[in-house]
Amino acid sequence: MIIEIGHYALVLALATALILSVLPVIGARRGDAAMMALAPTGSLVLFALVAFSFGVLTWAYVVSDFSVANVWENSHSLMPLIYKYSGVWGNHEGSMLLWLLILVFFSALVATFGRNLPDTLRANVLAVQAWISTAFLFFILLTSNPFLRLDPAPAEGQDLNPVLQDLGLAVHPPLLYLGYVGFSVCFSFAVAALIEGRIDAAWARWVRPWTLAAWTFLTAGIAMGSYWAYYELGWGGWWFWDPVENASFMPWLAGTALLHSALVMEKREALKIWTVLLAIMTFSLSLLGTFLVRSGVLTSVHSFATDPTRGIFILCILGIFIGGAFALFAWRAPMLKAGGIFAPISREGALVLNNLILTVATATVLTGTLYPLILETLTGEKISVGAPFFNMTFGLLMLPLLVAVPFGPVLAWKRGDLLGALQRLYVFAGLALAAGLAFFYIQNGGPVLAIFGLVLGFWGMIGAFADLWYRANFAKVGLSVGLKRLAGLPRSVFGTAIAHFGLGVTVLGIFAATTFGTETVVEMKQGASVDIGGYSLTYDGLRDAVGPNYTEQRGHFAVSRGGVQVADVWSSKRLYTARRMPTTEAGILTFGLSQLYVSLGDAMESGGMVVRIWWKPFILCIWGGALVMMVGGFVSLSDRRLRVGAPSRKAKPVKARLEAAE
Amino acid sequence: MQYWATMVLWIILAALTAAVAAILILPFARATKAASVDRAGEVAVYRDQLAELDRDRAQGLINAEEAEYARAEIGRRLLAAAGAGAGEGRETAAPKARKHALATTAVTMVPPVIGLCLYLALGNPGLPDQPLEARLANPGNNVALLVAKAERHLAENPNDGAGWDLLAPIYFRSMRLGDAELAYRNAIRILGPNPLRLAGLGETLVASNDGIVTEDARAAFEQAVKLDPDNPRSRFYVGLGFEQAGRAAEARAQFEAIAKGSPPDAPWMQLVNQHIAKNGGTITPGRDTAQAPGNPSQADVAAAENLSQGDRQAMIRGMVDSLAERLKQEPNNLEGWVRLVRSYAVLGDKPKAQEALKSGLKQFPSSGELVALANEMGLAVEGVAQ
Repeated sequence: MIIEIGHYALVLALATALILSVLPVIGARRGDAAMMALAPTGSLVLFALVAFSFGVLTWAYVVSDFSVANVWENSHSLMPLIYKYSGVWGNHEGSMLLWLLILVFFSALVATFGRNLPDTLRANVLAVQAWISTAFLFFILLTSNPFLRLDPAPAEGQDLNPVLQDLGLAVHPPLLYLGYVGFSVCFSFAVAALIEGRIDAAWARWVRPWTLAAWTFLTAGIAMGSYWAYYELGWGGWWFWDPVENASFMPWLAGTALLHSALVMEKREALKIWTVLLAIMTFSLSLLGTFLVRSGVLTSVHSFATDPTRGIFILCILGIFIGGAFALFAWRAPMLKAGGIFAPISREGALVLNNLILTVATATVLTGTLYPLILETLTGEKISVGAPFFNMTFGLLMLPLLVAVPFGPVLAWKRGDLLGALQRLYVFAGLALAAGLAFFYIQNGGPVLAIFGLVLGFWGMIGAFADLWYRANFAKVGLSVGLKRLAGLPRSVFGTAIAHFGLGVTVLGIFAATTFGTETVVEMKQGASVDIGGYSLTYDGLRDAVGPNYTEQRGHFAVSRGGVQVADVWSSKRLYTARRMPTTEAGILTFGLSQLYVSLGDAMESGGMVVRIWWKPFILCIWGGALVMMVGGFVSLSDRRLRVGAPSRKAKPVKARLEAAE
Repeated sequence: MQYWATMVLWIILAALTAAVAAILILPFARATKAASVDRAGEVAVYRDQLAELDRDRAQGLINAEEAEYARAEIGRRLLAAAGAGAGEGRETAAPKARKHALATTAVTMVPPVIGLCLYLALGNPGLPDQPLEARLANPGNNVALLVAKAERHLAENPNDGAGWDLLAPIYFRSMRLGDAELAYRNAIRILGPNPLRLAGLGETLVASNDGIVTEDARAAFEQAVKLDPDNPRSRFYVGLGFEQAGRAAEARAQFEAIAKGSPPDAPWMQLVNQHIAKNGGTITPGRDTAQAPGNPSQADVAAAENLSQGDRQAMIRGMVDSLAERLKQEPNNLEGWVRLVRSYAVLGDKPKAQEALKSGLKQFPSSGELVALANEMGLAVEGVAQ
């Protein structure tokens, strides 16, 4: 009965979303307060219904109710409890429901915290959110319904795909979706502004917290996915330019551009039209990513079960929303008033450069991802566009951007002084160069290009603080006054510095891991040793072990340095009994920021084992940098300036209670 | 009981619908004031920007000239917003009572109509929840549930040999060969080898290898024969192993030993005699009615070897078709699908193999085994995997 109530709640959510799609828009046109007031109330109802429905599905997983087809297909009664929870979104139907849940969650957030918005804007934004919700509710109910039943119910489930039986599944999709779907709010704001035909600097400030939140979650989601692929797939790589990875990376690039252009718009009311376009593009890329992954156009771990009607359905959603938004843009954008002007060398100029490079980079990734698909559809020819293409094009594009990052914050608005900025930065550039050379000297022996990469990384890390240094003005006013001035700076300045520092850390990790890392593939017999990265690994044979729903052979390696044993690594090959599917579990050992990565290959007839061993120096910097970027995002999000704009409707001073979360 | 549960469900659904409609109608019930087309929010943003400018100026972060420019710019925006707000505010200042007949009708009608229509089309109101624990507590005579219950028991007490002993033949009969092998091995490990378990393990291995007596299987049968020399079933497979290895003399010795040890009217004599003949021996006349020892399907395969090419094809074909029929009834059997696809492919019936692959993948969409098999057999996965 509970399951049927959950199913009905989802149907009722569709009815609510339909009402929300129409009435508030009419209300906004007519200036009808009651109809506009329906938007926030209805959004909360919608969220409550979908959340209840999601809760019911989760319950079905936890109690292993195999009369629900979705549970039977993707669960097993003996699975550890955590995977029963995360298994809810470890399949197509459930992950779409999670997508929807996060979408209506953001609507509810806008409804709750958007009191400072003008009534019409809020009504329109929530209505556009409801359009998207309606589309996905139809999609879920008609093509991917997780509440379909089986009668009679089977006795045992078919188990969750073993690759997905990992803590990564519990964290990666929700974070990624918070990012993907968070950009829907920016999209709705853009479409609402186009509907109203009016857009100004205040709009940019209202959109900023949503952009920032979505960007922060997406950063974390991508980093998490990358780390998961790194340790779960056993291939030793952390980014494969796989179409599915690109699908999440493109909204990130566009979103990063949006974050920066909204800044210009907020401060100078320039780049209005461009910002609106970026907001539409970012969410369109999120939708495109959803389409690529969910339609079965691509086969990968993410595709789960595929079905052509779903692909066509998502393609329709994609066409209606992207096409509709761009049509609206083409019609309305020329009516928007242009904003402030600026010289090429200025903070705005630097941000425009950032935007140019990021959008071109997005276009490059988009081309590399879609070209093979289009070519295969048209001619049937199969080609793969791999890492060399992306490294050459995308990598080269990123270099000037990375050089330019520290310049942005130290340039003045409107009219900047490049010479002055250079003068201010040369000390930092010198420091970065010295640090890069020192690093190279310590690691000793990479190609010459590596120095450049390392310097670039340190440049990003050290240069990030140039702005803080000069704003605090330590050189002139001394330490104590400087610190006081530093404390008085808005949090977003710190957010910027931290995020840029994180970018530098990631760049450093990428260059260090790729240039100083080593790889060995050897056949090892029991007792054999291999030297790598200054450590010595001794193979100690295979042992059998049994997990809750798998059996495994674990290879044991003793790791020693200078003759002293320092650690053990276990690397195993598992067989998941329900699906009879083998997986490899890499053994990973962390030394500081570096890692030793051991992956078992096939057993040889001679009794040996093929073992792949990687030494990956400073690899943790790659994801650590992303985490630092995320922290920067949150710091910036906590800036009190994002909370203003609460109209003095009740003529009371703005309190920092509810507004804090905006 | 069931009837009452359904009634309660419908009452809850009705209450839920009414609650949603009631909440959505609330904004209309409140006093309808005209919307303030206010731009107060915007004004507040610009005020804050001015305040920030002052802070920056006070801290010396920007110079006086820059600050003046910025102040003028923000001031212009502030004036525009405040002016527009006042102007528009005046236009709609007079609140006129609006009638929302159409809107309220929509809000009250859409949830029940859409909810009912769509739910009746998609839902299963009569089907109760079936949490596994509750079902296991009361399994009735549902074999699948009983097996699941035994599996749970064994997961907690993996050293209960009797449990494995019980499950193994059930697995074997329901074609879960991998599980059967594991169960037999566990039973042998815990309870020690006996002829029945060893023969069962051997047969499982033969079945998983498409009728070939592998090294492992032969070892199991030989051990069974050692423990119980009179067991015709194990002997037969030992002989079959020799025969498949091309060691005709040893094979014949085994078959002849079976014939000697069996009553002449034993149901397996015809089959044994065929194999004696095949390996160059002479047959002692026996009864006509032939029945395979132990597992009939394996013996059928053996019998098929003696038939003419056409007959053999027909016989194998019949067996494969019966497997297909069984899978149609009970599709939840990955190994069955793998065997079916392989069989059709080996028989050279590509369309059927393709069809079986499609049905199998539909049932087990993420089965790497099926995909690997398809690649091995040169079947297209792309069209199927859609």
